[in-house]
Amino acid sequence: MWEFMVRSLDASTIFTIAALSELLGQRSGVLNVGVEGVMLFGATIGFMVAQTTGSYLMGVAAAIIVGGLIGFLHGFFSITLGSDQVVNGMGIWILGFGLTTYIGYPYTGPLGMERIPDVAGLSPFFFVGIALIVIAWFVLFKTSLGLKIRSVGENPSVAEVSGINVTRTRYLSVVTSGMLMGFAGAIYSLDYNPVWSNDFLMGWGFIALALVFFSMWHPFILLGGSILFGALWQLSLNPQLVLPDIMSRYIWRTVPFAITIGALVLMSTKWFSTRWGAAKPQALGLPFEKG
Amino acid sequence: MKLGNYEVKLEKRVTLRGWEAAVISIFAILFAMAVFSIIFIRAGVDPLTGYKEIFSYAFLSPFGLPLTINRFVFLLLCTYSFIIPKKAGLWNIGTTGQLYAGALSAFAVAFAFGAKTSQSATLSAGLVIPLMMIAAILGGAAIGAITGFLKGRFNTNEIVVTMMLNFITYWVVARLIKEGGLFMGASGEGDGFKLPESIYAPLIKDVPFTIFIALGLAALLYFLFARTRIGYQIKAFGLNPAAAKYAGISPFKIPLLVFIMGGLMAGLAGYHYFAAVPGLYRITKNYGEFGDLAFYGIICGLISQGDPLAAIPIALLFGGLTNGGRFAQGKLKLGFGIDYALLGVLMITLVAFQFFYRYKIVWAKTRKESSNVGIHG
Repeated sequence: MWEFMVRSLDASTIFTIAALSELLGQRSGVLNVGVEGVMLFGATIGFMVAQTTGSYLMGVAAAIIVGGLIGFLHGFFSITLGSDQVVNGMGIWILGFGLTTYIGYPYTGPLGMERIPDVAGLSPFFFVGIALIVIAWFVLFKTSLGLKIRSVGENPSVAEVSGINVTRTRYLSVVTSGMLMGFAGAIYSLDYNPVWSNDFLMGWGFIALALVFFSMWHPFILLGGSILFGALWQLSLNPQLVLPDIMSRYIWRTVPFAITIGALVLMSTKWFSTRWGAAKPQALGLPFEKG
Repeated sequence: MKLGNYEVKLEKRVTLRGWEAAVISIFAILFAMAVFSIIFIRAGVDPLTGYKEIFSYAFLSPFGLPLTINRFVFLLLCTYSFIIPKKAGLWNIGTTGQLYAGALSAFAVAFAFGAKTSQSATLSAGLVIPLMMIAAILGGAAIGAITGFLKGRFNTNEIVVTMMLNFITYWVVARLIKEGGLFMGASGEGDGFKLPESIYAPLIKDVPFTIFIALGLAALLYFLFARTRIGYQIKAFGLNPAAAKYAGISPFKIPLLVFIMGGLMAGLAGYHYFAAVPGLYRITKNYGEFGDLAFYGIICGLISQGDPLAAIPIALLFGGLTNGGRFAQGKLKLGFGIDYALLGVLMITLVAFQFFYRYKIVWAKTRKESSNVGIHG
């Protein structure tokens, strides 16, 4: 049971950081449905670099850099070219899924490095995740930078008139967001499950995307949701630890996805949206054109 | 930007003509193939040789061509599955899950007729094959309907829902074909059971009859969107759901309808690949790769701008590229995943090129200052 809880929190860390990164981008008005793709890039490049150099630090750094570059690419399409953000995100995801399958394939198999040491029985990244949540909350709600980010996500025209550089603020958010997605991917491939196989995320990024919708765009609710889904995910992988012999292990794997749909439906009901729907950034998914 | 006496400017397009979209698409595909050459060069292969291998195997080889055509039929059906909801402004990323459901339903029918018991069982092809196809269509449509219903009733994000359903159906297939599942094959190597020869889909020159259905559907869909009331309603909803509502178009029925239709096409694709393509006739253990291949439907749909007739040559091209890519990968020792890498490169190139659907580059002769003289006196 203890082992299960520890693994759940490890899993929740990946959801936390991935979803937080998406939240940051969405708060500035940029939707990236390609979280999974950026995470795949981070996970694969991080894995390759760590294995080649023998250094976790290099692996994580490479993942963050590649994530930032992909974030920049999404920003270029979405902010500068003003193209449809859903199409762009889909492109990022399919690019990630397609290209990492090819470039990572020679690295198929275990990482073969000594595991990253625990901190109080937990992955050190768990604490990084908590810290990032607190920092994100502080920046978003207690600093002028956060006010800028939120205002370009709500009403970019008004923000621009009041002297905020919408383009620059959105780029900042989207690139930072990409870096965090790459980081989340690296945690998966270097710490949580250090064995590379193609398309090995199997839905983490998409659940992270859904978590942002559940979070009302607030970091603390997001943390709660991530911990819940971390436990759920872990349960679906190792049901025998908690509930032995109820369903086939394959059917267990469907549970987090089914619950995501259920939660998403609940969120979309009128009952829910009239009470808490206002949290959604007004300008989400809309390109901004000056003048 | 100025070049000599000419000025290069970006101008917003008011309309996009069919031929303009076609030109942009051709440039996008060529550009992607040029970028993709890097992968050949990295592997020490001359890109021209690489492409020659791919195309000659895909379209000229007696072994490769039937495989290309099988993929073409599959991709074309996947493309329909994507473009029908897209006409209504909705994203069907769930072709994969819908085609798994279609394949499972088709095999459930075969199973019910005792197909699992013996490879030599003689079943009535005239009865079982149509029933398998109907089941595939219903299975795909049922999964599609979930998304359509949730979108229509609650406005639930269809991208997340279809993606979740992909994962759910993926694991349901695993449950059924692996580890003692109902549809497990006799070999015990993780494949599903093989259909008896008596219900192999009829072939016409090595090509399953499903090709005629796929081509016929192109004409039918073209007619649907060009000439019928319901096609018009779908398009109107896609352009502006709010305005469509005032015109009496149901914001519930349209999403439901387009996802049922999309799922139906995907279900048929599932039947085609697992039950009609020679050499398979079973849900293989690597069914996930066919599910992944379905994502080419998105690319074909985006390039063809939702035109079912334009989708035909594009699906043929990609059927050939993916098939030939697999071959070249083995022959030129390029490493696994060439077709995946191409998928990624094509997709991101298209994303970049969609800019040109909205803007065009114009060359204008710069006016000399003196031409203003008349105004200023």
